[in-house]
Amino acid sequence: MNLNVERLSVSFGEAKIVQEVSLRVQNKQFVGLIGPNGCGKSTLLKSIYKVIKPRHGEVFLSELNVIKASPKLVARKLGVVGQFNELSFDFTVREMVAMGRTPHKGMLENDSQQDADIVSAALRKVNLEGHTGRSYNSLSGGEKQRVILARVLAQQPEFMILDEPTNHLDIKYQLQILNIVRKLDIGILAALHDLTLAAEYCDYLYVMKEGRVAASGVPEDILTKELIREVFDVECETYRNPVTGALGIAYLETK
Amino acid sequence: MHTDLAIPSQPKQSLIHSRYGFMAVIGVLFIITLLSAGAAVSFGQVDIPVSQSYRILLHHITGIQIGDMQELTNGSFVDIIWKIRFPRVLMAMFIGAGLTLCGTIMQAAVQNPLADPYILGISSGASLGATFAILIGFGSMGLLGQSGVAFWAFAGAVGASLLVLTLASAGGKMTSVKLVLAGMVINALCTAFANFIVYFANNAEGIKTVTFWTMGSLAASSWDKLPLISVTVLLAVILFLSQFRVLNAMLLGDEAAVTLGIHLGAYRRVYMILTALITGVMVASCGMIGFVGLIIPHLVRGLVGSDHRRLLPASILFGAIFLIWTDVIARTIVPNVELPIGIITALIGAPMFMYMLIRKGYAFGGKS
Repeated sequence: MNLNVERLSVSFGEAKIVQEVSLRVQNKQFVGLIGPNGCGKSTLLKSIYKVIKPRHGEVFLSELNVIKASPKLVARKLGVVGQFNELSFDFTVREMVAMGRTPHKGMLENDSQQDADIVSAALRKVNLEGHTGRSYNSLSGGEKQRVILARVLAQQPEFMILDEPTNHLDIKYQLQILNIVRKLDIGILAALHDLTLAAEYCDYLYVMKEGRVAASGVPEDILTKELIREVFDVECETYRNPVTGALGIAYLETK
Repeated sequence: MHTDLAIPSQPKQSLIHSRYGFMAVIGVLFIITLLSAGAAVSFGQVDIPVSQSYRILLHHITGIQIGDMQELTNGSFVDIIWKIRFPRVLMAMFIGAGLTLCGTIMQAAVQNPLADPYILGISSGASLGATFAILIGFGSMGLLGQSGVAFWAFAGAVGASLLVLTLASAGGKMTSVKLVLAGMVINALCTAFANFIVYFANNAEGIKTVTFWTMGSLAASSWDKLPLISVTVLLAVILFLSQFRVLNAMLLGDEAAVTLGIHLGAYRRVYMILTALITGVMVASCGMIGFVGLIIPHLVRGLVGSDHRRLLPASILFGAIFLIWTDVIARTIVPNVELPIGIITALIGAPMFMYMLIRKGYAFGGKS
């Protein structure tokens, strides 16, 4: 599935948070969205996945008009991994993941054996199959995020949005999540904080500043020290990592 | 699509988390409910042997005769059981189920395990309505007076909760914090008005009626009051049993629910108005019975978890059993005195709640 965002604008009252942003994700690419805190990337993603109503603009998932379509229809195609949150109520890991089947089910329809198999497969994919009976609230942050990822996998989406899914996670879990997602073979749009991780995992990057797209391109082309200085207000040097051959960024002392 | 992922699984699950364990729990609870309804009619100012109670009930319901019916039907036991106690026990059963149902729904709707239908200002609204009807309204006009109290209590309950809902959604999105605060404000306001009426009413008898009413009682139960309550509760049960996916998604919060295809705003509003109406009907016929909607869902979550497809049926039955037996306690614990049932539910409920708060590892439905 391809994602097409056309001139999307979001305002809260007078404040224009996102202005005329257009972007596209095609051919099952892994596309990154980077930018400093408050640049509007989270708001942009939320208006793509229907939590916030945009003021102008259009969002299409292939033929599906995301803004006009019902949440249920969209949820069958689009999975969202947000930041995990604490729940006031507790579920077992399996119950949490099984909720991923919600958009595919009628109101009175119970879960079938096929649903159970899909849930088990999702749990296996995130290495949680031994923990199905554990309480979600008792898990560590990394485990919780994997449960959320498994729930989205059980949704069987054809496109996935990651809304800063790796914040507050140890590097091990960050890599684990990104590796699982990269192997999915579906289109991904991900807001990421870590620029080196973004350079490593993304096929294409959109850089946002003050609600607008400041630059876009393949990571090697746009992650220059000039752009990082302009967008993030940080001095740095970029280099080729001698071990991995990937793009490296060395942050220098800020003024 | 990843349909190639299907591989059979062998998840490790506890007894209650397995399908058969849960069905066993429901089966046992159902049987206990039926047995309780039969046994509870034996207790009261006059104790009647349980075997006789069952025979009388069986005879009246199915026409089956066991043993010497002549001797059984001649005594006053038949009237006590069939005309007085059995409607009351059925009432307790439906009210218990209904209050628990409303508590469970309310807790999901505001995503707060400490919520119960009374936080919407229902209790104070109903009190105000009843106080008005008893002390000012049609209190002295016989039959009209009786239905007047119920009507005004219902109107007060529904009016107060609509006010709370409006206040909580003023200035944008309704949040649970705003809801609780709005509930407190409306509570304070209604209580002030009710106290004002009580203070200036020169009517000792009326004030006693108001007091008794606010403590809740099933003493006024009768066959002709049952249809309204039973139909309301049964319809509510059927409706909400079909909503388990929405209710589960509610516990995850608004954003996660949208990504699962459910926009909570409208559902939350409808659920709260429905619970307010249902609770209003119940409060109007039996006064305020606290703690049932709060405590029973908690207990049952510990048993079967937070998944509403298990939680709802189990807690409804549990609530029914609980209120049947609390009512038995209310009418037997002090000889020749009928205690308001609200006192008993609070006396049992409050310590239970304290225990659950203090107990380490209580995780609102999960197993740690």
